[in-house]
Formats: sequence, C-alpha cells, structure tokens
Amino acid sequence: MDKQSVQVIIETLKEEGIDLAVTLPEEPTFSLTEAMREDPFFQAVTVAGEGNGLAFCAGAALGGRRVVFVTGIAGLLVGTWALSQMGMVYGAPILILASYRGDFGDHSGIPGSQLLMFKQVAEPLLGALRVPYRIVNQKATLKRMIQEGSFACQDYSHPIVLLLSGEVLW
Amino acid sequence: MLAVTSLSTNAPFWFNVRPQGPNFFALNMGLCLPFALGLSVAFPKRKVIAIDSDGSLMNDSSSLITVADVNPANLVAFVMDNGSYAFMSSTFTTRKTDLAKMAQGAGIANASTVKTLEEFSAAAKQAMESAGPTLIVAKVERDAGRVSADRSRTSGRPMREWFMDAVRRHPDYQGGR
Amino acid sequence: MKRFDCLRLLAPMVDPYMLTVTSLSSNTAFWSDLRREGANFFGCNMGLCIPFALGLTVAFPKRKVIALDSDGSLMVDSSSLITVADVNPPNFVAIVMDNGSYARMGSTFTTRKTDLEKIAQGAGIANTATVRSEEALSAAVEHALATSGPHFIVAKVEPDRVRVKGDPHRTYGRFMRECFVDAVRRHPDYQSGKKNA
Repeated sequence: MDKQSVQVIIETLKEEGIDLAVTLPEEPTFSLTEAMREDPFFQAVTVAGEGNGLAFCAGAALGGRRVVFVTGIAGLLVGTWALSQMGMVYGAPILILASYRGDFGDHSGIPGSQLLMFKQVAEPLLGALRVPYRIVNQKATLKRMIQEGSFACQDYSHPIVLLLSGEVLW
Repeated sequence: MLAVTSLSTNAPFWFNVRPQGPNFFALNMGLCLPFALGLSVAFPKRKVIAIDSDGSLMNDSSSLITVADVNPANLVAFVMDNGSYAFMSSTFTTRKTDLAKMAQGAGIANASTVKTLEEFSAAAKQAMESAGPTLIVAKVERDAGRVSADRSRTSGRPMREWFMDAVRRHPDYQGGR
Repeated sequence: MKRFDCLRLLAPMVDPYMLTVTSLSSNTAFWSDLRREGANFFGCNMGLCIPFALGLTVAFPKRKVIALDSDGSLMVDSSSLITVADVNPPNFVAIVMDNGSYARMGSTFTTRKTDLEKIAQGAGIANTATVRSEEALSAAVEHALATSGPHFIVAKVEPDRVRVKGDPHRTYGRFMRECFVDAVRRHPDYQSGKKNA
C-alpha cells in the first residue's frame, strides 16, 4: 500500500472518530498498521489471533468505542467463528479493512494455489456470514468508501468489511 | 462495573445474582475473555469482570496473550474450572492443564488458582481493589443439574438489547446515540 | 542465534524415517533446502503446524515427528499445546523458532511478556526447554530425539534480514502435498487401509 493511500485511510478514520486500531500484522497492510501504531491519535492493539481479536473488537464496539480491525482474507478465515457470533448474533459495529489477497492484481508472490483459494472463498464466506462488504480498489473513491462503510457500520450496527484491492492495495 | 459471562451455568447463576447493570451473558466458546477485554478499553475507569469457564478459555487460550499485551488495569477474569464440558466428558482427559500457569506464561503476572471459598473470597476482594489484569481460576465441582434463567435476558439478541440499554445509560458511555 | 544455523544443526540429527512439518515462515524455505528426503510437510499456515504434526504422531507412533514452528504461528492457536499434552505422544518434538516478530514486520507482542515455554508447561507438557545458543539447542534436540516425549523446545533466534523463498512447487500446495503423500506411502510403517481386526 503506498503512502498516499495510507494517508487517505488514516485521515478518514480520524474524521470518523475511529480511534481504536486493532490488527494481527500482515504484509499487504503492514504500512497502514505501522502508521496507525505510530500515530498518537490511535490506541493500537496487536492481537495474538484473529478470533480473539474480533471478539475484542466487539466488546469495545458495543461498549461505545469506534474500532477498526485491519486484516486479510486469511485473518477472516481464522476469525470466522468469532465473526459469525459478533455479526449475526450480536450485531457489533466493527469496521473491518481486509486486504483482498488473491484478487486479480495480487503480484505479492505467494503461491498461486493459495491466492486462488482466497479469491474463491472470500466473497462467498462473507455472504454466508451475512456480512455486508464492498470491494475498494480505486484511489479516487477510497475516501468516500470508508466514510460510507463507517456510516453503514454504525447505522446497521453490524460488522462491515471493506475488501482492499487493486491500486489501493498494490 | 460491567460483567461478561461464558455459556454454562455462569450465565443463569450470574443473572440470578446481578440482574441489573451492564451484563453480557452467555458468550460462546472462547469469546468471553476477549469480549471482556474489549469492554475494558471502552470503560477504562470501571472494573470489568469476565466469568469464564475452563472449556471456553481452552478453546482460545491465545486470548491470554492479547490480555497481557493490552494490559488493562481494570480487567478481572474468573475462570470457573469444573474440569469438564457441561455434563459431558472432561475438558482434558489427563487433567494436566494449569490455566493459571498458562496465563502467567502469556504474561499475566497476577494469575492464581483457588480451591476453597475462603481463598476465592480473598482473591476476588484483592482483585477488585487493586490494579490488574488479574486472573483467578476457581476449582469448582460439576453442577448437579441444569439451571436456566429467562432466555430473553440471558441469551442472544434480546440479551444484547438489554445490555446496550444499560451501557447507553452508563455515565462513562462514549458511543453515539 | 541465526535460524538457518539452527536448522542446519538439526538436519544431520534427523534420520530418514522421521517426519517433519514446517510452519509458514523461512523455516519452510530453509528446511526444504536442508532436508531433501523423507516425509516433510511444508508451510502449514498460522496455528496449524503443531496440531498437524500431532496428527502425524498418531499415524506413525514409532517414529519421531518434528514440528518446526514459529512464535507468531503458535500464538494464533496456543490451545493446540493443551491437545498435545492430552494426547501425550512420546514421539512428538516441537521446536519453535522464536524471533519475536511476524516475518520482517512488527513484533508478535509489543511488550514482550510472552513466555512460550511456560505456556507449554501450563498446558501440561512436562519436557520443555528454552535455548539461546547452538550448544544448548544441540543438547536439547539430542535429548528430545533419544527420549520419550512429548518435547517442546523454544529456540530464540534473530529476525531474518532478507526474505528467502523456497521452491514454490516443492514447498507449497498440491504438489508439496503429493510429494509428502508419496513419501508417506513408501514409508515402511505406513498403515493405511489395514483395518484393526
């Protein structure tokens, strides 16, 4: 992710009042999570596993904090159990920025069979869990996508996933 | 003070003891402790207690690592350890797991095991009056039978609405609406 | 200690009939270079290395099975250690390469309070060690391979400075799986298809 996208995302999250940044670091979004860790505006938490990470986000969110969870498709797979509970059962307003590993344009070099799996599973998984999502792959609409995602998250009181891809991620 | 319980008789028992106030009941396996941790960063000036169970914590013991890392002074976690899954088999057939030691390994310094009511009482009092995070594993017997409480107050969506109502009225609540 | 040196030290200690499993990390690229024969399962994703290796121990009860895991991976699912203690296989050896970080990214725990050896002990694994020198690693591994386990060894290593990539065909996905299954089928102890009488 380039500096410009990182800046737009951070600026927009601040405008939305999202000051709790939670992650288990992964390569595509590392520059974003590092920038958030270094920015005193955010309370930055590194979790040990995405499952307990999502449950943590839910407790904070229902408790009134504005939270963003930064992860990837792999993290959503690990956290599927927690996401099903925190979404479908409890409607916790968690904004999730997830790198869309395996979407066309992923030249990161991890094996193709893994990328294919991520691509095949990602959207049906979110559909199965009834988590509303959008694919965010253009710099021109990045800011608005985050604003709209954040609004929906609070309005529906439900996890929302923004799948980062294309020129936004790579 | 906010409270979070796991599935198991923790939920109906706690509901009978403290029906009012912000209580989140009956979180499924592995989710109780991390959810309570999240509440502790939403209400940093209030004690948040997690009433978990051995099977639930063992499902995601990595939450102990996350607790140690966030290091919230206001979190007190109780683990009701009856060495089994409800009325079913034991949680670990050879009974070798020491959850307090796993917590210490994870980085939670104040982690202990208690076996009598006196020990429990003393440990709980200490935890509520000092800075945490604190974890207390309470060795308990298996319950003799099923216990239930009003499902609309202790489970799922309806429970969540009662919880949110209490949370919104809390003087420290920072969220919108 | 350097991770590669640790693995290089380990390679000659492993006989052709032992089975190994590596985590997603440079353990995979390095080990695939050092051990060219035998049954090796490469690149198990986060949290899956130790439980997969545990499964192999019950398929090959008379052979040492070595899990080459990493700190971040184990931390995603530390509950697997409880399962190891409960199954209690004498032929299980876990060596966790602990560089205190996720690849070349941030640290696995910002305040560095996690003691993986103590977590393993809490989980019920009695034979544990944390090593910080090659001599200590060598002694611990020799002991683990010669005695009844399960054994759990944490090796403190420096973070790698450069990215290493293994041969993607041999170390990942379906082809890796086929090579592994082929080695397993040719193993003298392979039992599949034989129902218990």
